[in-house]
Amino acid sequence: MSLSQAILVFVVLAPGALFAVFALLWLLGWTPGERFLSWITGLTFTACAFGIAALVWTITSGSTITVTFGNWFAVGDYHFPLVLTADRLSLPFLALAVVLSGLIGQFSATYLHREPGFLRFFLLLYLFAFGSLLAFAAGSFDLLAAGWEVVGITSVLLIGFFQLRPAPVENGLRVFGIYRACDIGLFVAVFSMHHWAGTASFDQGFPLLTATRAMIVSLLLLLAAAGKAAQIPFSGWLPRAMEGPTPSSAIFYGAISIHAGAYLLLRAQPLLARSILASALVVLIGLATAIHGTIVGRASADAKTSLSYATLTQVGVVFIEIGLGWKWLAVAHILGNATVRTMQFLRAPSMLHDYHQMHSAIGGEVSPTGKQIEELLPERVQLWLYRWAFDRGHLDTILDRCVIDPLLRASTYFARSDRAGLAWTIRPGNQAPVSFHDPAKQGND
Amino acid sequence: MSVPGWVLNKPFLITISVGVPWFAAVLVTGYRRHARAVGCIAAFASIVGSAVLLAVAPKSDSLYQALMLLFSSLTFGATLLLPRRDCTTGTIVGILFLLASTLLAYSTGNLLVLLAAWILSTVPFLWAGWFRASAWRPLVGLLLSTLALALAVGLILISTGVTAINNLKGQSPGGVAAFALLVIAVVFRKGICPAHAWVADAAETGPPLPTALLLNGHFGALLVAKLIVPLFPRTDNLLPVLSYLAILTALYVAIRALGENSPRRLLAFLALSQSACILSGLESQTAEGIAGAIVHWFVVAICTVALFGILRLLEVRFGENLTASKHLGLAEHAPRLAVSFVIFGLALVGLPGTLGFCSQDLLIHGALTSHRLIGLLLPIATAMNAVSFFRLFTRLFLGKRRTGFTVMADALPRERWILAAGVLFVVFGGLFPNAIVIQRSSEVDLVQATHIAANVNAVGKGDAQPGKITARR
Repeated sequence: MSLSQAILVFVVLAPGALFAVFALLWLLGWTPGERFLSWITGLTFTACAFGIAALVWTITSGSTITVTFGNWFAVGDYHFPLVLTADRLSLPFLALAVVLSGLIGQFSATYLHREPGFLRFFLLLYLFAFGSLLAFAAGSFDLLAAGWEVVGITSVLLIGFFQLRPAPVENGLRVFGIYRACDIGLFVAVFSMHHWAGTASFDQGFPLLTATRAMIVSLLLLLAAAGKAAQIPFSGWLPRAMEGPTPSSAIFYGAISIHAGAYLLLRAQPLLARSILASALVVLIGLATAIHGTIVGRASADAKTSLSYATLTQVGVVFIEIGLGWKWLAVAHILGNATVRTMQFLRAPSMLHDYHQMHSAIGGEVSPTGKQIEELLPERVQLWLYRWAFDRGHLDTILDRCVIDPLLRASTYFARSDRAGLAWTIRPGNQAPVSFHDPAKQGND
Repeated sequence: MSVPGWVLNKPFLITISVGVPWFAAVLVTGYRRHARAVGCIAAFASIVGSAVLLAVAPKSDSLYQALMLLFSSLTFGATLLLPRRDCTTGTIVGILFLLASTLLAYSTGNLLVLLAAWILSTVPFLWAGWFRASAWRPLVGLLLSTLALALAVGLILISTGVTAINNLKGQSPGGVAAFALLVIAVVFRKGICPAHAWVADAAETGPPLPTALLLNGHFGALLVAKLIVPLFPRTDNLLPVLSYLAILTALYVAIRALGENSPRRLLAFLALSQSACILSGLESQTAEGIAGAIVHWFVVAICTVALFGILRLLEVRFGENLTASKHLGLAEHAPRLAVSFVIFGLALVGLPGTLGFCSQDLLIHGALTSHRLIGLLLPIATAMNAVSFFRLFTRLFLGKRRTGFTVMADALPRERWILAAGVLFVVFGGLFPNAIVIQRSSEVDLVQATHIAANVNAVGKGDAQPGKITARR
């Protein structure tokens, strides 16, 4: 194994190793102090950042770094390859993940000082960093899917970080449901690549598929990407995800997780390029999301939600760029958007303080902003648009009515038919299925 | 130091594995003291016996020895996990009885012994005051499955007069009638739709840990692997029906779980949905599907026993009126139980980094390869199960802290160690799955070879489709 390969392995595995060690120590009864945790986090991510710098140096000379560990598991003709790769596409994302995770770690050490879940937050941050690095450095869609799932579960657990309040927990459940539903697309796409091309690896070139098969796989990947990137019609989960601590919102929904969907499509660009329908759909979804994001964001009352919709708008534009085949523009856009949004999210809790400072400095109120573009519309349209934006485009309602409610009704119907003649075995209070998608209906008592 | 030859003798080892639990059951019935200790020692003896059996078995023929080791270990774990309130003489005797019967079923190559083991395994669950559920459906389900198997065995004996399973391979003994009866036995025992309701009733109204052990004996899957697949190649075109039923069960029960608020029933549905996948994998006749089914068998067995065990511990400590309709906030009181619960649950539904991810991946590939459209339902069912499990976890463990508990015990040392062992197995199995998959892939070859040999045997008689399996491979 060459030095570059060793560095790549170190960068990907280091956060995972931190997670494993501290989780094990906690299970054995030892809880590390805040200062130690902050120090080790800083040290690890600094080392990773230097590692990334070295990898950048190697890759600028034109080579791609690939590390093959053989198969994670193999049965018959089917195998799950363990291949890490750092190329011109993955490296910017690896750098982004390492630098922002390190920064968030340092920020959180102060922000979450004396918070009861301090260790839990850091464990989940390590796991998230490991999952995202694994997804970005994966040399096959199989491994990418594994990292993708880890990112999903840590994301959900961090949304429910403030576990004593029912709303974050319920919102975490909602996000988990949408993630899992959309991930079906990724798994079936991986299977299809194995079935049709015999491999889902892209380290040695892309799986060869006919135009129709490429379209099917692209559409399946688009489903997964749209779910992770909160594109229409799945955008409803994004404001719910703001229930988590601000540092996690910054790195997940301002930077890494929300752009993971775009990364998946960038990886699948050779497939997308072969299907006009899939490319057009990517553009259409991106366009719809961008418009949706900018309108809804204007009616958002809180800073984090407003920022999340600003991110969403930009991710929509990134999707358009990907659909049009402007790969490197999309990468540059992602890097810029992720960095700026992270900074904005991290400053969000201090926004009032910042305003007060600004007012003191200039000796009075800041002058109001200029005219808004929506003021050009007739008043009735403005009102209608406001109501539409206030309910976030009714996306949650549509999802509830079209998917969740029918499933729950089916569940209730099945329960009734199962219970026929058996009412006496059911405990009181456990008969009626309760809606699990509306926290407002959920009493905590 | 050399080991005497008789120690490594297969009949001797089977006698130890099967006989010691029965002997211990009799001992506990008479002695009525130190029941848990005696139960643990007996289960440990079975573990040792099964482990040696597995070590000396040829690699290509070690599936049932591995399953014996798994079930002995499960019983050992369940005996340790049993709350003191439940750890009565009757419970330990019943668990040992179930252990011995299940190991007998795994180890036998004789039809009549298999039938006897099947009947014996149900005895504690038929007896009022032992493990019998207060609902009527578990009783009916077990009785009907036993009746169907008895009739199938009777038909086979009448038509061939042979009791050795090896001598019946590929002969379709008893014809379609025997095949249909065996399928009915599987449907009722495994809880395949439309006979699924008894499983949830048993979990709800019966003792949770013994019921979990009964379900994880997976006698239905055993019957498919041991009798249906090798004996009935002529019914190769009927066998997918069982697979379709299994996949539909996985989906139906997954939808059913979405609205369920009783934790026991919800866990039973999850266990049922996930274990139904085993059948579809075994039937898929693809290397991935069969390997996935075997590994999933291990995952489902370990995870569901652990989940039922943890749920019972919570019931004992925080009251039996647990419900998933509101947040109970138990993680504050029992953080280690919460962590164990979430790890086992996510392993059950295929979280990466656990053995469940590997088994689900293989199963989904196998199911999609053999049944493209129906197979699509499997990842959908798994996704729904994940949501249902996560809902149960959040409702039980997260939310506002409860007050008014006089006892706030997290996992006790004996519980902690056994749960840690289970967690280590599913996590290390997930990190290094090849170690387990390679072990089991020889058995995949065995099951596939059984398909082919049975088919070739039938071709000799001019009544099979030899191309089908080859094409599927």
